Amino acid sequence: MSEFKLSYYLKKEKEISNQKFDKEIRVAILSSFTINGLQEVLRVKCANKKILCHAYVSGYNQYNQEILDIGSKLYSFKPDFTFLILDVRSILGDLFFLPNSISVSERKNFVENKVKDLHNLVNSFVKSSDSKLVISNLNIPNYSPYGIYEFKDEYGLKEMIQNLNNKLVSKLRDEQSVYIYDFNGFVNRFGEENIFDYRQYFFGDVKISLDFLPYLGADFMGYLLPALSANKKCIVVDLDNTLWGGIVGEDGFNDIQLGPNRPGNAFVEFQKCLLALHQRGIILAVNSRNNLDDAMQVINEHPHMVLRDGHFACYMINWNDKISNMKEIAKELNIGLDSIVYFDDDPINREIMKKAIPEVQTIDLPNDPSLYAKILKSMQEFNVLKITKEDIEKGKMYLQQRHRSEFKGSINLNDYLKGLGIKVKIRQVDDFSLPRVSQLTLKTNQFNLTTRRYQEEEIRKFKNDRNVLVGYAQVEDKFGDNGITGVYIIKKEKPSEWLIDTFLLSCRVIGRGIENTMLSSILKEAKNEGVTKVKGEFIPTKKNRPCENFFPSFGFVKNQDYWEYNSEKDLEIPEYIQVDQK
Amino acid sequence: MTNSERIYKVIARVMDVPISRINDESSPQNIESWDSFNGLVLADELESEFNLKFTMKEIEEVVSVADIKKCLKNHGEKFDD
Repeated sequence: MSEFKLSYYLKKEKEISNQKFDKEIRVAILSSFTINGLQEVLRVKCANKKILCHAYVSGYNQYNQEILDIGSKLYSFKPDFTFLILDVRSILGDLFFLPNSISVSERKNFVENKVKDLHNLVNSFVKSSDSKLVISNLNIPNYSPYGIYEFKDEYGLKEMIQNLNNKLVSKLRDEQSVYIYDFNGFVNRFGEENIFDYRQYFFGDVKISLDFLPYLGADFMGYLLPALSANKKCIVVDLDNTLWGGIVGEDGFNDIQLGPNRPGNAFVEFQKCLLALHQRGIILAVNSRNNLDDAMQVINEHPHMVLRDGHFACYMINWNDKISNMKEIAKELNIGLDSIVYFDDDPINREIMKKAIPEVQTIDLPNDPSLYAKILKSMQEFNVLKITKEDIEKGKMYLQQRHRSEFKGSINLNDYLKGLGIKVKIRQVDDFSLPRVSQLTLKTNQFNLTTRRYQEEEIRKFKNDRNVLVGYAQVEDKFGDNGITGVYIIKKEKPSEWLIDTFLLSCRVIGRGIENTMLSSILKEAKNEGVTKVKGEFIPTKKNRPCENFFPSFGFVKNQDYWEYNSEKDLEIPEYIQVDQK
Repeated sequence: MTNSERIYKVIARVMDVPISRINDESSPQNIESWDSFNGLVLADELESEFNLKFTMKEIEEVVSVADIKKCLKNHGEKFDD
């Protein structure tokens, strides 16, 4: 998507203080060259999402000192996210111009040592800070002094940089809090001749030309949004002229545009990009004014449909207004309206949606469907900091959920729950489950008693702390495995007194007695350890009303700010649940 | 809009000052926000506005509205005054 000029951000940034914010984040920027302007871009882009961004920019080319000195301003700033942006000229020095001034084996040594240095730098940072770190890879320049002979020369300039990038990737792959930003990809996207402006470089050591800082900032938002749970979970699409060309109700099944030839191929491309997002955990749903039968015939039978029945978690295909349909979708999927992105080709529908439900991010699709895929691919809102097994299987789980609802329609609730054959596994967190446990604390809003957000590093600290208990519930039923869907964190404040610091349940298993099972297991364990008082608190938010009566409904008694459970009595769990606790 | 007005508008936007404060004598001496970085931003925005490219020497020398006009004249832009 096209961007504003840098001066727009410089000006807007001065007006930020008057705005209202929902969230806050602290961002540090380190670089090997002049990167003035980037912090203003980030602050404005955050403010547009109601995020207050505090920024720290290290002194010019001071990144080594800042990272190695534990007393540096970088560390006292206490960033949540740190971007380390390096450029190939600073790292290679004169070798950038004269790669053949040393032998092949010396070049290999040079790369080996640079990677070692960078890895050490990253290690020092990780040891000294809880911040996540994003480090850029290096741009492979288009020019080489060897010209067309470049790849005949062993370990030439380009191969050298490529190799350095690859080594950095493999060294840092398992570093939980460190990410690599594909700066080389960024330069490819816009072109080296645009990104690198010789005049700005000679004039002020500017290595990313000013007009492109806003694009870089847009990419960096891809890291900040998921860290604040401000990313999107679900894409809702219209059908006619959005998933295919033409109107099925008027043009008919055979004459809609969808297939290998233009203009149908643009819609196939768009669908393929949607499918790719679905496969890594983005939920898809339909909101369309159409005859259900016409639409389903295309979805089920059209030879060139990419997205099929099994990919959609929810359909609202009817003649109701799209606003009510959208609310219905959010309700049925149990997600917030603010986690939905909406694609519709009709500008009037979009205007109405933006006015009625501003929380939904409505995309301004251009008239030209050949641009749909490009727009979808340029969006940073679907990023996640971790893709777990649960994410990849999420689409399947929502499908199972649809089948559960259909099953539910036929019988009464109790028989329904009995028929589900629910199995709950309660376990203490281990290295394998840790990412998912952290992820649930970061993104669960509705059934979350305290809404405390914990990054993986924090969960890891809890896990190693004898006075903290981190447990999770994994839920299975006859329709499939829901994966890890419940988390609790207990702080053993005194030998006789435990505090429920966190208790949450993923929305897709609410209402099945899972919470009873989890709470019962906490109370049982407390009793075993001779604890006489278990207390908890409910911290109300805009979204967690579904669990506001949680404590009183289980017999907890209010005592000032806390709810307390003193009873010796064990908590009953529903007889239809099979519990497996270790 | 005259070419002078186009220049004033760009300067006002980049330096974040009211357009009424800009005249031919405006320079880093009398506009506080006109530092070397904003000077670079200004050159960049003037290039987009007038669809031309300055040389490095021009970027360096252009430090007042009068300089900008002289420079733009060399690039073939016309001014009434």
